[in-house]
Parts: sequence; structure tokens; C-alpha cells
Amino acid sequence: MSDTAKAISDLFSSRFGDRVSVGQTQSGIVTLVVEVDAWLEVCRALKDEEDFSYEQLTDLCGVDYLSYGQSEWETEDASQEGFGRGVEGLGPGRFDWANRPEATDVPNRFGVVAHLLSFKNNQRLRIRCYAPDEGMPIVASLVEIWSSANWYEREAFDLFGIVFEGHPDLRRIMTDYGFTGHPFRKDFPLIGNVAVRYDSQKKRVVYEPVEIEPRVGVPRVLRDDSRYKADEVDQAADVEAEKIAAGEQGNGNG
Amino acid sequence: MGMNNPVPLDSVDDILRPSADANPLLERGMVTTTLDALLNWARTGSMWPMTFGLACCAVEMMQAGAARYDLDRFGVIFRPSPRQSDVMIVAGTLTNKMAPAFRKVYDQMPNPKWVISMGSCANGGGYYHYAYSVTRGCDRVVPVDVYVPGCPPTAEALIYGILQLQAKIRRETTIAR
Repeated sequence: MSDTAKAISDLFSSRFGDRVSVGQTQSGIVTLVVEVDAWLEVCRALKDEEDFSYEQLTDLCGVDYLSYGQSEWETEDASQEGFGRGVEGLGPGRFDWANRPEATDVPNRFGVVAHLLSFKNNQRLRIRCYAPDEGMPIVASLVEIWSSANWYEREAFDLFGIVFEGHPDLRRIMTDYGFTGHPFRKDFPLIGNVAVRYDSQKKRVVYEPVEIEPRVGVPRVLRDDSRYKADEVDQAADVEAEKIAAGEQGNGNG
Repeated sequence: MGMNNPVPLDSVDDILRPSADANPLLERGMVTTTLDALLNWARTGSMWPMTFGLACCAVEMMQAGAARYDLDRFGVIFRPSPRQSDVMIVAGTLTNKMAPAFRKVYDQMPNPKWVISMGSCANGGGYYHYAYSVTRGCDRVVPVDVYVPGCPPTAEALIYGILQLQAKIRRETTIAR
């Protein structure tokens, strides 16, 4: 941790006490993990107080930690058919809407991350909080502090289903009209639940249950080109050489 | 006249002559087929596409329309309104949310009308075939005349597709049976 980051971290700790925990820095940005109850209060202080002066919220997004740390794409081996990765596990590309996994009781499943910028101090800050209830994740809205949070929070609501309490106009922003589910959740199937088609009888575009099977593409390995042929020739030559060497040795002993 | 003229100029002249009872040309359907040739000459020479750029394919479409390839040479002039368009070039990823609007724009185009599906996404979903939000091919929503493959197709490929559509239109008969 650089000296500046250390100084800032100490400042946060002394100001907010145990309502925040200062995480590690990455690329010189300090991460502040805030208790969800203190989310609004801490953010207001970060904007208004002279020491912090984070005038601008540059980004806000949701995170689903359901399968956090579980690797679906680790390469174990490579064979004639393909890599050993991507054939196990339960990622969003491996189940359909009917067979989607039931969300288990995961503590701190949903997080909200915001990036702040202070022009005055030429300083950036990342703040994060975890929604307490996985079934109905509720986090206080930051719109009244930074108005730029408005559409970001609608996006996080749309894609993750995180409810922002106090948001003036919390509705979907990107997905289709009448969409069900929150597509960036890890238990949302990649193929979704509906597909569209034009119905020439009804003279309009109709929605139908999705008809394709979920599928994860596995990269194939081709081992048939000339380079591997050359290897085989080399190996055969090595075997021949060993035979000759062994034969000579045998003659010498005999 | 450019290279697109399907019949020699002299043949076009025939339709202007008054018909006589014993006109051998009429008996052989010369007038109707020649009228068709004239119609098709007009249609292929001024295919005005509805500007329907949805994603990165649109950039290649712009490139085809810009100075280097210059679609104006083929009488292809992009229109901002479906009411003035003959062709719709679907350039990019068609999403489920866009599909009803896309169909509405197609319905607003006057007949005769044609559709060029440009790129993998418009042809069949392409890279996003297994995605929850993308329509798996614009032919689920409108009838397509020409599919241009590629991701994105080059400007040359799009021009080739337009020429293929011209060839298809030339084979059409509107009057002759």
C-alpha cells in the first residue's frame, strides 16, 4: 500500500470506525466496504465533508457472488476431443429456465459497488456494500446524493434485482418490455426463457418459450497437422538410434 | 446507360409502338416481357435501402456507402424513412426488444420490398445465438431475400450481396405470367 493510500485509509478508519472496513488497493484505488445500514450516511459524508469531497459518482453496479471463486473454465488436460475445461460445473450456460438451480442461502450474495471521484483531491475511491437478504436484496439509493446514480441503479435493479430504497423511478432500463427474471444473476439461464417470432396469422411479433437447448462451446484441439507428424518421425528415429546403441553395447560386452 | 441495363435500348423502344392485330411481337408476349424488363431495370437501378444499422455491421455498411466503394454508383441511396425505401439492409444484432419495431418498419415499407440480412447476427444470431436477449436470425421476423455471411462482412461482401439481389430482382416477372 502506497503512502497516500495508507494515509487515506487511516482517515477513513478514524472517521467512520467499525462502520467501514478498508480493503486492499488495486491500481491505486482504495476499496471501502461499508455496512449496509450505514451506506447512505457514509456516502453523504464522503460527498459533503471537506476531507473527502467525492463530488462525482462515476460508476455503480451490482455483483452476484453466488458462484464467486468457483472456476468453471480451469484447464485440466487437453485431449484429441478438446480441452478438459468447460465440461463440468453449473454455469449459466448449462441449464434452462425450468431446471435453473434453486438459490441456496448464500450470505452476502448481492453486492453493490460504486466508484467515486474527487476533483478537489484528485482521488478515486471504490465503495462496496452487501445486501443482507438474498431473496429481497434492499440497499439505500444514492440518487439524492449523486444524481448520476439514477440510471446505474436502474441497471443494477434490472440485471440483478437489487432494490434501491428511495429511488425516484426504479424500473427496468435495458431488458425487453415485460421481461421476467434478472439476467445477470448466476442462476439465470443464459438462453433465457422466451424467444420471438413473427406470427403471420396474428400479424405481430409473438413471444414463445425458448426452444433451443443450452450449450457451452468447448474449444477443440487439432492434433493432426504436419507438426505432430514430424514429432512421430523424430520419435521413431530416436527409438532406432537407441536400438543401435543398445546393439553396439551388447556387442561390446559379448 | 450503365452496365445494369438488362435489355438493349432498341428493345425498350418496341413497347412504345401501337399494337396491331397481327403483331408477332405481341403474340409472343414481347410487350409483357419487355415491360417486365423495363420495370426490373428501374427497380435494380434505384434500390433505396432503409437505413437499419444495429451494430458493428453498420460500420461496414457505411464504408460501402462512403467514397471508396460508393454505393451511389449502383443507385443505392440510403433513406431515413421506410416510406421511401425498397430494400432493408439488416446490419447487426437484432434483439428481442427491437424485433417488434423492426417488423413495424418493414410493414411500413411500400411494395415491392426486399430484405438483405447482413452478418452472422442477422443471419442466425451468430455469436449471440445462445443469448437470452437476441433474436436467432432476422428471418424469424421478416422474409429475407439475400444473406450476406461474415462477422462483420466486408464492404465488398455487402456490395456482392446487393448485386446478387439485383440479379434476383431481374428474374422476377411482374406482368408476364
